[in-house]
Amino acid sequence: MDIRSALAVQNYATARPATAPKEGPAGQGTGLTDFAQKFADTLSEGETTAKAAMTGDADPHALVHALAETELAVETAVTVRDKVVEAYQEILRMPV
Amino acid sequence: MSDLMKALTFAGSGMEAQASRLRHTTENIANADTPGYRRKITSFESVLNGMPGAGEVRTGRVSLDQTDLERIYDPSHPLSDDTGHHDGSNVDLVIEIADAREAQRSYEANLRLFDQARQMTSSLLDLLRR
Repeated sequence: MDIRSALAVQNYATARPATAPKEGPAGQGTGLTDFAQKFADTLSEGETTAKAAMTGDADPHALVHALAETELAVETAVTVRDKVVEAYQEILRMPV
Repeated sequence: MSDLMKALTFAGSGMEAQASRLRHTTENIANADTPGYRRKITSFESVLNGMPGAGEVRTGRVSLDQTDLERIYDPSHPLSDDTGHHDGSNVDLVIEIADAREAQRSYEANLRLFDQARQMTSSLLDLLRR
């Protein structure tokens, strides 16, 4: 076996942990978590209001408002997701 | 919450307030012939929930119009006094209809703004799609 390929394997093994995901410092990455949490909150609020409106507890105005907010939240989330996926695919298509 | 989302909330509260005003107007018209009925007056007040310059509106306590009740001459009516008069309501249909029309116009204005804020948010997101 060529010594160079053995060295390459060894180098790869030592360099590998560098690419492993690790916990960022506190505060980093929580923006996205917050966003996801708020998105889920908006969704569940819309569902609750829709259910209440169906049983006659909620005002139709509240229903329309909650559903409009939910619609915009879903639209935002879908748009951002599409952008992220697109960027990821751009990276994957990069010639190595 | 972004300004456009706030606009949605405020327009929604405006619509609710105008709907409540229309309900009171309807009650007034329905009771136009009720003896002793005093017309209800809807009051509007802004909601202060901690935000500076809060723009949300709601209807406050209903007050009763204290103008004199109409004296109706009808001796056969069970409520009539010695002179044959009894108290009617102080509902003026012309005023009520005008009030209802005003509520409708304000409602439409709020509705338009609601739709506009929604469309503006939507078209802002459309920018990211191309």
